[in-house]
Amino acid sequence: MQLERAHSWKKLGVQCLLLALPTIFFAFAVLLKLNANYIILQDQWIYQGIYFSIGVLLSLLFYSWRFRFISTALVLALFYFIGYKILEKLAVGEFDMFFLSVQYLIFAFIFSIGWLVGFGFSRWRFFTVFWVLFLLAIEIIIVSKMTTVTAGAIVLGFVPVLIYTFYIIYTSELVRNLNEHQSSFRWYLTKRVGGFFGVVVVIFAIIFYIFRKDFAGIENAWKKVESHYNNEQPNSQRMTKVNRDGTLSSTGQMPLSGSLNKTKQLVFVAHLNNFFADGTTQNPLYFTSDYYTKFDSVTQTFATDTLRPFNDLFSPDPSRISLFFTKTDSSVIKNALATQSRRVVEADIYKVALSPSDYLAPSTAFSVQPIPVPYEYTDQYTSAYHAKMWVSDLNSAYFVYNPAGNTILEDFQKTRYDLLRSDSNYVGIDSEFLDYYTRMPEGKSYQQIIQLADALTSGDSTNMDKMLAIRDYFLSKDEFGQPLFQYSDNPGEPGLPGANKLAYFLFDNRKGYCAYFAGATLFMLRALHIPSRIATGFLTVDRSSKNPGWYWFYEDQAHAWVQVFFKGYGWIDFDTTIPDVNTQQAPQPDGTPPLGTQKVSFVADGTIEKIDTAKKRLILTPSKILFKDKNFQAVDQPDLRLNIAFAKIAADTGLVNFDVLTKGMHITAASYDESIGKIPFQKVTDTAAYIIDHLQQPIPIDEIKIIKDNEPKNTGNNIDLSYLQNFQWLWILIGIALFALLIVILIILSPWLIWQLFNLRAGKNLHFAQRAILYFLNQMGYPRDNQAPEFFAGHIDDQFDTHLSMFTRIYQKEKYSAHPLTSEERQEASRFYKPFIKTLKEQIPWKKRVVLFLNFYHTLHFFIKNP
Amino acid sequence: MENTPTVISSSIEQSVLNIERLTKNIEKVIRGKIPQIRLILTAMIAGGHILMEDNPGTGKTVMAKTLAKSIAGSTGDKTASFKRIQFTPDLLPMDLIGSYIFDEQHKDFIFKKGPLFCNVLLADEINRASPKLQSALLECMAEKQITVGEKTYPLEKMFFTMATQNPIEMEGTYPLPAAQLDRFYIKIRFGYVDDETELNIYEDYLAIQKNQEEIQQVLSIEEIIQLQQTAEDVFVHPELLKAVRNIVSATRNSDEIILGASTRSGISFIKCLKAFALIGGRDYVTENDLQHLTHAVLDHRILYRNKEARAKLLYQIQENEMERLSKLNLSTKK
Repeated sequence: MQLERAHSWKKLGVQCLLLALPTIFFAFAVLLKLNANYIILQDQWIYQGIYFSIGVLLSLLFYSWRFRFISTALVLALFYFIGYKILEKLAVGEFDMFFLSVQYLIFAFIFSIGWLVGFGFSRWRFFTVFWVLFLLAIEIIIVSKMTTVTAGAIVLGFVPVLIYTFYIIYTSELVRNLNEHQSSFRWYLTKRVGGFFGVVVVIFAIIFYIFRKDFAGIENAWKKVESHYNNEQPNSQRMTKVNRDGTLSSTGQMPLSGSLNKTKQLVFVAHLNNFFADGTTQNPLYFTSDYYTKFDSVTQTFATDTLRPFNDLFSPDPSRISLFFTKTDSSVIKNALATQSRRVVEADIYKVALSPSDYLAPSTAFSVQPIPVPYEYTDQYTSAYHAKMWVSDLNSAYFVYNPAGNTILEDFQKTRYDLLRSDSNYVGIDSEFLDYYTRMPEGKSYQQIIQLADALTSGDSTNMDKMLAIRDYFLSKDEFGQPLFQYSDNPGEPGLPGANKLAYFLFDNRKGYCAYFAGATLFMLRALHIPSRIATGFLTVDRSSKNPGWYWFYEDQAHAWVQVFFKGYGWIDFDTTIPDVNTQQAPQPDGTPPLGTQKVSFVADGTIEKIDTAKKRLILTPSKILFKDKNFQAVDQPDLRLNIAFAKIAADTGLVNFDVLTKGMHITAASYDESIGKIPFQKVTDTAAYIIDHLQQPIPIDEIKIIKDNEPKNTGNNIDLSYLQNFQWLWILIGIALFALLIVILIILSPWLIWQLFNLRAGKNLHFAQRAILYFLNQMGYPRDNQAPEFFAGHIDDQFDTHLSMFTRIYQKEKYSAHPLTSEERQEASRFYKPFIKTLKEQIPWKKRVVLFLNFYHTLHFFIKNP
Repeated sequence: MENTPTVISSSIEQSVLNIERLTKNIEKVIRGKIPQIRLILTAMIAGGHILMEDNPGTGKTVMAKTLAKSIAGSTGDKTASFKRIQFTPDLLPMDLIGSYIFDEQHKDFIFKKGPLFCNVLLADEINRASPKLQSALLECMAEKQITVGEKTYPLEKMFFTMATQNPIEMEGTYPLPAAQLDRFYIKIRFGYVDDETELNIYEDYLAIQKNQEEIQQVLSIEEIIQLQQTAEDVFVHPELLKAVRNIVSATRNSDEIILGASTRSGISFIKCLKAFALIGGRDYVTENDLQHLTHAVLDHRILYRNKEARAKLLYQIQENEMERLSKLNLSTKK
């Protein structure tokens, strides 16, 4: 039985080309974005795109015959069911079954969508309308899932959909009307456009209603981002920088501006093991991320100086350090120039919104060890590290705020002031160091500051007292008993552009936020030749007594303060920012601390040699190993076999799926298995080789961290890669665009390319010459179609005054006659081709020829004659 | 074959000349109908019969008469004869094949031959005759012999029937059944001439009329028979045989066709192809011949399911096959 066709082959070709192909491209892009947002899709957008493509193309082909949809869809469902049953037979083990069935579900779902799309394109006239609305809905969801919404991301999200929308609706109609000549065409068009907009309005209303929560999220994100991106509004400033992936980093500079923006975002959680002498009272320390030692007096901006002498800032990138391995820098301890009252304090930092590559720690940090986030907390914290600091006993967040009533703290304040008073000269300190840290900008307004500083401290002899005098000045009251200075996030700017903002703060306005207080204090201290610098980081607020040592850091705790150098004691935090009396800080909720890190017994760091996805085994070429907290170099050691069936795999951004692991990837694998630690371990031969030899392989691995390979670090502004960049989104987009362009060019040029092919072959024999002639005439708008060859030739001869009939006759004779051609005939025929084409070209104007030649429909017609 | 080989070898040129002469002669009377004339000659040279269908006044009968006169002469002498029968519903088979009549002299029934015993028969308005008569005629056309009672009388060696039928006057007609249409090698639609030719005819109608009356015999029966024999020797390439096979079988395998073409029609197709090639002055069949003949030879043998299929299907089958042949590269093999 021969099936009736719903569309001709020609139409099918056009559908595949004009409807299916752009849709497939678009689907790839959408799937890519969906994969970035939904873990269930398991990051296999290429496969999913292929499922979709196959679905669309098969369905287009299938429905180009007159099949009914419902019955065939039932058959398809039956196929799915059979496939599932087969899968059930094949799958071994519960885990595999689960894994496969999820895969199969995704396949079936995406394939079905593709199938429906193919059917819609083929047979359902208004399908495209629903299809693009579906895509729009998806796009809206994708945008709402974005952590950071930028104008660019929104444009990138919606513009392709809109372009695709208009394109696909227009094209589907065009394809549909390809062979139709309707008299009421305009009326149809008006009706359709009107109806379309009506449906769009209704569906948009529904979408807005259903996803109003997501929209609220977008709104908030917008608000959050606006403040950051509104750089053209110079009055606004933030203490932290929002990276494009939504994480926060230190800004690297701090301009003095008219207003400060804050959010209530949780940045990180830390456990700081620092207590006062009694052992129970916590001694919170400010968490430092950077020191601003450079001041640009023109823009009045404090900034990082990478060339500062005696650099005591330890700034590793924890995301590039192998899990459990420690990176230490002892030079910072030396550069801290502190010998007295110092001890080592440890802290655990669990990042929430903090950028994975940022490192924050109180005082002089010198060591970092990335640690895993306990499994139960992986949805809350992205990564964690363990830090060690060289901390002064005299340092504390309690500097300004007199802890009235708390005797321990009062005693502490008193003792440390006394201690610091005892030492007030800088004899023996490197002069370069002193010069650098007491440098003042030139200018009249700075002279004013110097005068003020001198006036304030005229009665004080020690540096400590001078400092306290400056602090007291900020806390003092005016003649009316009102506070002289006020804390304000929106201090405003001096009316004169370019006026010294610090002078404006100190003498006129007397309102400001931390940067003003710190900046003013810095220059007053430097005026008194006290070495000082600005530190930025986070204010540690001691709110909770439930979990001693645990601190929660929100974005509005981002802070700047002054550090003062004391001989022998090093840099001591000195915060002169006065409390904000107007807006009482709302109590921030403190969560549960991420407790429960297990003791690690074995860690191997290296590159993946081989992965067995079925058995969940992995062969690792180790570069170093950690055994019983001891670090061994393991170069040239035999490969390790690891069992990763129960491992959780973490990247910077959080937990990832098993199949992210690929050969050659640099990972750190850790095992908590206590039995490993029990192998005979002899001190004498504790080499990597000995340990590896005596390990029970495969080693059960509980924790894997993917380490980014060391690339040259971005100097200056370290832009974190967003998920878009992680996928090399731009390149893929450009690639797709180029590919599409190439295809378009190929399609445009294909008639010409085919002609070149024909032309090339034409010399071979009469048959190919005939084919070339037929193709050429076809492109010129003279298809042979249903005409007898000689009749057609006669027609052409009449038109162009050529001798195609003669050629055709000879060709036919050669082809079908029992006798061979005579030599004259052969000669004549072989001489025919080139002059003929030439004559034709001469007679058809150049422009017309090009237009006719590049008409793709002609080519299609030539190759696909009959439906 | 009785003819000597020398005759055959030179027969192509001779045949072409003969056909030319015949065509020229007919063209004196029939204007602007060269494709039709060629098809009619094809049927004749292939040894078959032709059915001409069209509206009245398009020149069917004139055509038939002119052809008949050109080969049989108007005098009706013994060697070549032309008979014309106007079919009516009351015509009986006896009127066609003849009957036994009583001979007074010999006191015996002798067989008086009917008009079928001739070389060229014009069966005018064949669909007006009763089915009984139609069957009788078509039987004779196929068998080339008549059996009356116990005795079998062979028809003339060159027996060519030109039947006409009128498509619009359906009242009192008996449409030929498909099986009987199969007996006609070719069915053509005569069609009207184009405007220019028509004007030409009006201007010249007197001369045409005169020509019609004065038309001369240009070919003898022997020459026709020789043409037929020459046509048998025309070469048909195996690929073209395959093409005929493909076309014929495609008509059988289509859903839109109730009754496809028979093997017999395939054979007549090949015969017609050869004849047509000869008319074209060739001793081999080409794609052209296939293209020209497919519809004329096969269309009336096929019973379509609907009008749409009738309008398109055979053309599609033919075009597919032509496309295949066109892409066929036979040059390299030689």
